[in-house]
This record gives sequence, structure tokens and C-alpha cells, in this order.
Amino acid sequence: MAFWFELVATGLITGGIYALVALGLNLQYGLMRIMNISHGEFLMLGAYLTWLGHTVLQVNPLAFLPVVALALFLVGVAVYWLCFARIIHTAPAVEVIEARSLLVGFGLMFLVQNAAYLAWGADLRGYSYLAEPVDLGGARFMANRLVVFAFAVGASLALLAVLRWTLIGKAVRAMMQSPTGAQLVGIDTRVLHPVVFGLGLAMAGIAGGLLSMVYEISPGMGEPYTVTALIVIVLGGLGSAAGCLLGGMLLGLVEAFGMHFTSPSLKMLLSYAVLIGVLLARPKGLFAR
Amino acid sequence: MMTLRDSILATLLAALALSAMPWLLSAFALSLTLTCLMYAGLAVSWAMFCGATNYLSLATAAFFGMGAYVTAWGAEALPYGVAVLLGGLVAAAFAALVGAAVLHLRGAYFAVITFGLGELVRHAITYYEKSYAGTVGRVISAPPEAATIYHTVLLLSALAVVTALAVRASRLGLALRGIGADEERARTLGVNTRRAKVLAFSLSAFFAGALGAAMAMRWTYIDPLSVFNPFIGFQTVLIAMVGGAHTILGPIASAVLFSLLTEFLRLQFPYLFLIMLGFLLILLVLYLPGGLASLFARWRWRKSNA
Repeated sequence: MAFWFELVATGLITGGIYALVALGLNLQYGLMRIMNISHGEFLMLGAYLTWLGHTVLQVNPLAFLPVVALALFLVGVAVYWLCFARIIHTAPAVEVIEARSLLVGFGLMFLVQNAAYLAWGADLRGYSYLAEPVDLGGARFMANRLVVFAFAVGASLALLAVLRWTLIGKAVRAMMQSPTGAQLVGIDTRVLHPVVFGLGLAMAGIAGGLLSMVYEISPGMGEPYTVTALIVIVLGGLGSAAGCLLGGMLLGLVEAFGMHFTSPSLKMLLSYAVLIGVLLARPKGLFAR
Repeated sequence: MMTLRDSILATLLAALALSAMPWLLSAFALSLTLTCLMYAGLAVSWAMFCGATNYLSLATAAFFGMGAYVTAWGAEALPYGVAVLLGGLVAAAFAALVGAAVLHLRGAYFAVITFGLGELVRHAITYYEKSYAGTVGRVISAPPEAATIYHTVLLLSALAVVTALAVRASRLGLALRGIGADEERARTLGVNTRRAKVLAFSLSAFFAGALGAAMAMRWTYIDPLSVFNPFIGFQTVLIAMVGGAHTILGPIASAVLFSLLTEFLRLQFPYLFLIMLGFLLILLVLYLPGGLASLFARWRWRKSNA
């Protein structure tokens, strides 16, 4: 019993991070059709900021998270204005926005990742935070993983709540349903787009900060998370925030169980098999009606 | 405007001139030319399908790697030419199979699934090699001479250009452009869009696979990470789009440009080079979205109006 519990919990802990990373990307895609392939790079920036905060300024990484989120939010607004605003305003069709934003995403990926290599080198960095085991329901976990899980799910739920119950959330949802209709009733794209893009990066930054508490970090750490986030988005459905949360958890579970019953080297194989299976069987996402 | 025959003739003449290079150039310059040719072939064959239809395929690395593994597995049993041909055919067959299953997806979905497929094949081969063959990479023990490989790649790239020209002038090319403009409308007008897409997709995969098979001989040591490297796919897409994916000359020109830039800057300033590449890419997409080819078109337009 304890064994199953541990396996499920491990899956959910990874899944929580996946969901958090995917949420930001999904919002950006759902609202603006920006397929931001450099999403993981901003996760990496969040991780390095947290690491710097902990090692240079001696700040508690959890207390530093709001700073990281704010910093990444501002970066996101700047990146939106510098790169994506022009694409959205000049592209003749939605597909063109997707193609061009994908290319700009690659550009950003090269730019940010290699700037990080230049600044911090290729070494793995890390620090130890709350690395003591905790007993929970007969299973043992590292305290930092539980904290990471709690914060990842908390941040995801907070974003869901914002989307569900606030005016700006309503505006975002309206914009996703019908961009033209939303503009007709006075929702301002010029404000909403950069804010949502910034929010997406803030989420990635928080995820990165959380990850730095558990794993060692390196400038190349972001890419696998971008791919995972894409998979989660497909599982949950493009543009669906709640689907993202469920999809992330599901992928975490699939990985945990799959790795246990087959072999750890099959982890990526499993994720891609899930991705392709879902795309073929239910291209609108698992939870689409 | 050149006619189809003129363009094909020009391609063949250029290929003929380039075929003398192994006797004229140093080993270093020859290998640089080889890289240019490889990327030109990959970019042109990518643009043949993706440029016309506006489908964004990231599967080039998958086809390339499959071709490379056909050579790696069959190098001892098969003659070189057969291995290259087989590499292309395997990639084309895979593309036809996959295309029939996923080509109803559009936009980001298609991009993501083609990328995922490449990774799936890579991980499957890695796993297979590790657990059944007990190896990570493979060494090709008796590679053909550098000049032979050069001529093969040259031939394949020239063929890719000729095929792209022929496709563009054919009914298939019209159908593909129709799909790119408005798929629903094309279907309403009686185009068998599914057949056109699968045909063109596997045609472009053939060249990627054959090029992979030929290049594996050049590298002599291959492992899944190097031949399925997603950057081969990304680089191809970048080259084609920077050049102008709806043209043929554009991707060729930008393949040469990219290969030279990579060769000369990457070794000296590895990080700075990629930062610059990223910056350049963003600038190009923002301010020259039609690619380098649109510069040329603009120049010609201005000349004809002067």
C-alpha cells in the first residue's frame, strides 16, 4: 500500500511542476497563438535568479519567489513588446502568427540559453534547501519536494482562480473565445496581451525557482521542460487551463508508473508515445467534449 | 521569368561545375562545400512541401536520422549506392505512413507531432541499440572516399532542386499551393488534398533520408543523439524560412550563408555566435518575414518600375 502511495505521490509531484510550466505556455498559445518554444529558457532564468538570491543575497528561496515572478513578468512584457507585438500586428493570418512566433521562439532560445552559458558557464549549480526526509502516510519524502509540490499546485490553482473569478480573467477567456467579439465589447488587446504573456513567463519563473530547490540547475535545463509542456498542453487541450493541470498530473503519473514498471531510459519514449497517441485519437485534448 | 527547362538546365550546369570541386579544393574547403550542399538539399526539400502548404514540419531530423541508421545497419551488407537509396525509401515510407495518420492536423499541432515523432524514433533506436545490440553508437568500418560522398550529396541536392522545380510546375504543385492558401477551398474545388499532402510529404522525406544515409558515411561514427539531433531539423527550418520558404533560390542562398557563418564563427565564439544567430533570426522574422528572397523580389520590382 505504502509502495503505491509513494509511486502516485512521486508522479503527482513531478506532475505539479509540469502543470505549472505548461499553464503559462498554454495561456500564451490560447490567447495569442504564440507558440513560445523558448518557454523553458525563462524557467531556467527563474532557477538562476533563485539560485543567485540564495547564494549571493542569502535570501530564503521561497521568500524570493515573488521577486522572481515579478522579474520574469517584467521580462515577459518587454519580450512581448520587442518581439511578438509586431508579429501579431503584421501577420495576415493565424497560421502565419504561429509559424513566425515559433521562429522568434527559436531565436529567443538561442539568445537566452547561450547568454546564460556565457554568464554562468556550463557547470551544474545547486544549493541545499530543506533536504531532510519527512514521513507521510507510511512513505518517506524529501521535505523540499513536498514544498515544491504544494507551491506548484498552489500557483496553478491561483491562476485558475484568477481566470475564473476576476474581471481580467473573464477578459482573457472572452478573448480566447472570440478575439473580435472581445475587442468589440471594449477589451483592450494592447494591455491584455503583454500582461498575459508576462504572466506566462512569471509562471515559468516560479517553476524554475521551485525546481532549483530540488535539482541542480544548468543553462540547458529548460529545453526538456518546453517539450514536456507541449505534451501537457496537447493532453489537456490547447487553451484549456484546467485541462493543463489535469494533463500535467496525468503525465507525471504516466512517467512515474512507466519508469517503475519498464525502465528509466524509457521515460521520454513513454511521454512521446502518450503525446502521439493522444494527438491521433483525440486531437482536441483528452478532456474535450 | 525562366521557364522550367531553363531552370533545370541551370541547376544541372551548376551541379556539373560543382562536381569538379574534389579536384580543385582543399580538404577543408571541400567539407565546407559538402555542408553547404547538405543544408541546401535539406532546406529545398523541406520547402517543397512546407513552403507551399504552410505546414510546419519539424520531422526533418527524424527522416535524416532514419536514413543514417539504414546505412549504419546495412553498411556491411549493402553497396553504398543501394544503402543511400534505401535510406531515402525508408524515410519516404515512414513519412507516407505517418503522413496518412497526422496530416489532418494543422498549425501548431502538426509542428508538435512531427517534432514528437522524431524524438520518438530517436528514443526507440537508442533503447533498441542499448538493450539488444549492446551499443550506443555505430562505427562505419569501410566508408567510401570523400569524393564519392561529395558527389552523392551533390547529386541528391541537385535532384532535390530539380524535383522541387518540377513539382512547382506540376498539378501537384498547384494543389499544394492551393492547400497553403485555403485547404477547405482546395478540397471543395476537387483537389484530393490528402493524396497531394502525403505524396509531397514523403517526396520531401526521401531527400532528407537519402542525405542522412550519405552523410552517415561521411561522419563514420554515428549515434542517435548526433543524427537525430533536433537542431538538424531546426536549422533546416530556419534556413528555409530565412531564405524564403516559397522560393527555391532563397533556401539555397541562405544554406550557403548559414553554413559559412557556422563554420567560421561557431568555433571561435561558440556562445556569442548562437546569441547573434538568435538575434539575427528575430530581426529577420520581424522585419523581413518573406525571407531573403523578398529582398530580391523587391529589388526586381523597383528596377522594373524605374
